[in-house]
Amino acid sequence: MSGPGQRFPGFDVLSQSGNWDPVTARVVLARVGPAGDLRFFTPAEGQAAAALLDRLLGQADGPGVPLVGLVDARLSEGRTDGWRYDDMPEDGRAWRDSLSFLDADALAGVGLGFAACPAADQEALIQAIRDLGPADWHGMAAGHIWSLWTRYACTAFYSHPSAWNEIGFPGPAYPRGYKNAGVDRREPFEVRDARPSDDPVPEGA
Amino acid sequence: MGGVRARNESAWLLPNDGTRTHHALRENMRTFADGDEVDVVIVGCGAGGATLLQRLARAGLRVVALDAGPFWDPDRDWVSDEAGSHHLYWTEPRVITGDDPVPLGSNNSGRGVGGSMVHYAGFTPRFHPSDFRTRILDGVGADWPIRYCDLRPYYRDLEEELPVAGERWPWGDPHGYPHRPHPVGGNGEVFLRGARKLGITAKVGPVAIANGRFGNRPHCIYRGFCLQGCKVNAKASPLITHIPDALARGAEVRADSMVTSIEVDQRTGRAKGVRYVRDGRPHFQRAAMVAVAGYSIETPRLLLNSASSRFPDGLCNDFDQVGRYLMVQGAPQTAGRFDAEVRMYKAPPPEVSSEEFYETDPAKPYKRGFSLQTVSPLPITWAEHVAAQGHWGRVLRDYMRDYVHWSCLGALCEFLPQPGNRVTLAQETDGYGLPVARFSYSQCDNDRLLMRAAQAVMENLLRAAGAGEVITIDRYAHLVGGARMAADERHGVVDADCRTFAVPNLYITDGSVLPTQGSANPALTIMAVAARAADHMAGGAR
Repeated sequence: MSGPGQRFPGFDVLSQSGNWDPVTARVVLARVGPAGDLRFFTPAEGQAAAALLDRLLGQADGPGVPLVGLVDARLSEGRTDGWRYDDMPEDGRAWRDSLSFLDADALAGVGLGFAACPAADQEALIQAIRDLGPADWHGMAAGHIWSLWTRYACTAFYSHPSAWNEIGFPGPAYPRGYKNAGVDRREPFEVRDARPSDDPVPEGA
Repeated sequence: MGGVRARNESAWLLPNDGTRTHHALRENMRTFADGDEVDVVIVGCGAGGATLLQRLARAGLRVVALDAGPFWDPDRDWVSDEAGSHHLYWTEPRVITGDDPVPLGSNNSGRGVGGSMVHYAGFTPRFHPSDFRTRILDGVGADWPIRYCDLRPYYRDLEEELPVAGERWPWGDPHGYPHRPHPVGGNGEVFLRGARKLGITAKVGPVAIANGRFGNRPHCIYRGFCLQGCKVNAKASPLITHIPDALARGAEVRADSMVTSIEVDQRTGRAKGVRYVRDGRPHFQRAAMVAVAGYSIETPRLLLNSASSRFPDGLCNDFDQVGRYLMVQGAPQTAGRFDAEVRMYKAPPPEVSSEEFYETDPAKPYKRGFSLQTVSPLPITWAEHVAAQGHWGRVLRDYMRDYVHWSCLGALCEFLPQPGNRVTLAQETDGYGLPVARFSYSQCDNDRLLMRAAQAVMENLLRAAGAGEVITIDRYAHLVGGARMAADERHGVVDADCRTFAVPNLYITDGSVLPTQGSANPALTIMAVAARAADHMAGGAR
C-alpha cells in the first residue's frame, strides 16, 4: 500500500495559492498556520480528543494536520451542524461526554486514560465502539457518536492542504476554474497519479 | 432573450466589472417603516419568497421580504472551499428522530437571502404530469388540487429567467431548454458511457447555469464548487435571478430579521403582520397580507409557534395538518472506481441525469420511481461516503488517496408522503427563546424498495462503464411538504392558490405546500408554485 505523498509526487496545493481569491486564501491559509491554545476542550479532554482524532484519520505517520485544534475552534465558535439525534445532547456536550466515556472504557480495559494508551489499544477501543453499530454505548446509540466523531474528524482533515496534496485535489479554484475536464485530462498544475492501479481494495478482495 | 429582460431584468442589473453585487441597488432600495402597513410581508427570501417578492413588486404591490440570515455578497462572503462554506446552512438547533432520522443543516437547509438555492447543486428538472395525480394513478401519495398544466407556463418562464441549460428533455411533458447543454467533465462522461452500454437514456442537464453570458452574468468557469455558493454569478439562485429586479421595482429585502410569530386579529381572524427580531430588538411589521416561505421545517415551526387563543394548537392547525406529510427524497449515492483519472471535482456536480425510472413500472414490486444524476462530491463529502463503509484510520486514508479515480452518481427516490413524518415543537428552545423543531422520519416499505432498486441500477451502470469496485452510501436529499396544498382543510393547510384555509390573508409559498415530490429536485417547482400564487395575490385577493 502506498505511503503518504507517493501517489502524486511533487504536487503542492499551496504553490498555487497565488491564484486564489483573497477571501478564500485567508480562510484556507489560516488552517495552515500555527495552532492556537485550545478554547473549548479542557487540557485533559484535548489530549483524549487529539489521540482519538489522530487514530480516526491514521495520522501516526503524518501529515500532522492539527485536528484537535480545528475541531476545538469549531466547537468554541459554535460552528456546529445544529441538528442532533434525540438521544444525544448538542454537539459540544456530546464531545465532552463521549471523551469521558472513552477514558472510562480505557481505564476499565487497559488501566490507563485513553490518551496514555498504546496505539494498538486505542485502535481496539475505537473499533469496539464502531462494532457496536446501533447498539447502546453509555446511554447513546454508538452509531450516533460514531457519526459525530467521523463527521468532525473528516471535515477537519480534508479541509487541510496537506490532505489535498495526498489525494491530488487542487483545492480552491476561483477565479481560475478548470479548462481540461474529462477522463484522464489534467490541468498543467495537476499531477498524474504515479500508481493508478493502486486500488485500495482490488477486485475480488 | 429580449422577452426575459422585459419580464425580469435581474441579470442586467448585476455589475459587469468582475464584481458580483450591485451595491448601490441595495443601498438605495426603498424601505418601509414597521408601522407602515405594506401590502404583503414575506417571511423568508429563498426560492419561494424571492420569486413571490419579484412578481408582486412587478405587479406594483408594496412588499417587503424578511430573512433571518444575511444579504449575501458573493465576493465578500463566499469562498471556494468546502469547510469554509458552513455559514451557508441553517444551523440553528433542531432535533431529529423516528426510525430513519434525517440529518439537517448542510445539504438540505439554507440560510440568508437566496435560501437553499445558494448551495443547491443546480439541477432544475420539472415535475412530471403524473406527480400531481399519484393517488388516482398509482394508489399512493396524494393528488394535488392543481394539475401539471397549471404550472407549465410558470415552468417555461422560470426556465428562461434562471436560465436552464440542457438537452431536449424526453421525459414527463417533453420540452426543450433555452440554453444549450454544457460540456461534461469526467463524471458526466462516465455516466453517459455506462448508460449507453445498458441502453438507458441519459441527458445532459437540466442545470440552472447559463451556457454563455446571460445579461451581465459571466460564463461558468467549471470550478466544481456549485454547492459552496457560486462566486462567479453563473449558477442561478434568487439572490441574482429575482432579488435585483425586485429591488429595482421598489421591493424591500430586510435581512438579519428573524420572524418569531405571525399575529392574527382574534376578532376578525385575519393576519395583521409579523413579529420579528433585528439587532436584538423586537419589531412588528404591519401588513395587509402575510406570505410564509421558510421551507419545510421553519414554516411549520413558525405556524406552531404562532398559537393564540383562537388557534390554541398552532396557527392553521385546527385539523392537525401543520407539519405533517413532510418528505425527503431517498438519495443513495453510488461510486465506482476506475483505473483512469475521473477527477470528478472538475466541472459542476450537476451534469447528466436520467428520468428513465421515474414513473411507476407495473413489473416492479414498488410504486413510483427514481431519477439518476451525477453528484461529484468534493473531498469532505467524499470522505463521508468512504467512512460510511465503516472505514477509518489508515484504510480510510488509503481510499481517500484514490479520490481522482472515482466517479459518483446519486439517485433521487420518490419517498411517499406519510402523516407521521412531521415537524412538532421540542421542549428545547433556541436563542430567541422559541421551541425548536423536532423532525420525525420513518420510511415505508415502498421507500426502502426504491432505495435498493436505485442502488442496483447505479451499480450496474458504473460497472458497465468499466468500474471495478462500487460502494454506496444511503443518504437523503431535499425537503418538501409540511404544510401541504389540498382540496380542503381536513387534508391540508393551503388551497390550490397557496392561501391558508384558516386565515384568508395568510399564504404559504414555499416547498412545504407540495403534496408529492416526484423524483425531481424541487427548486424549480417551488419557484413555479410561488409565481402562480403571486398571480393570485396580485389579482386582488384579500
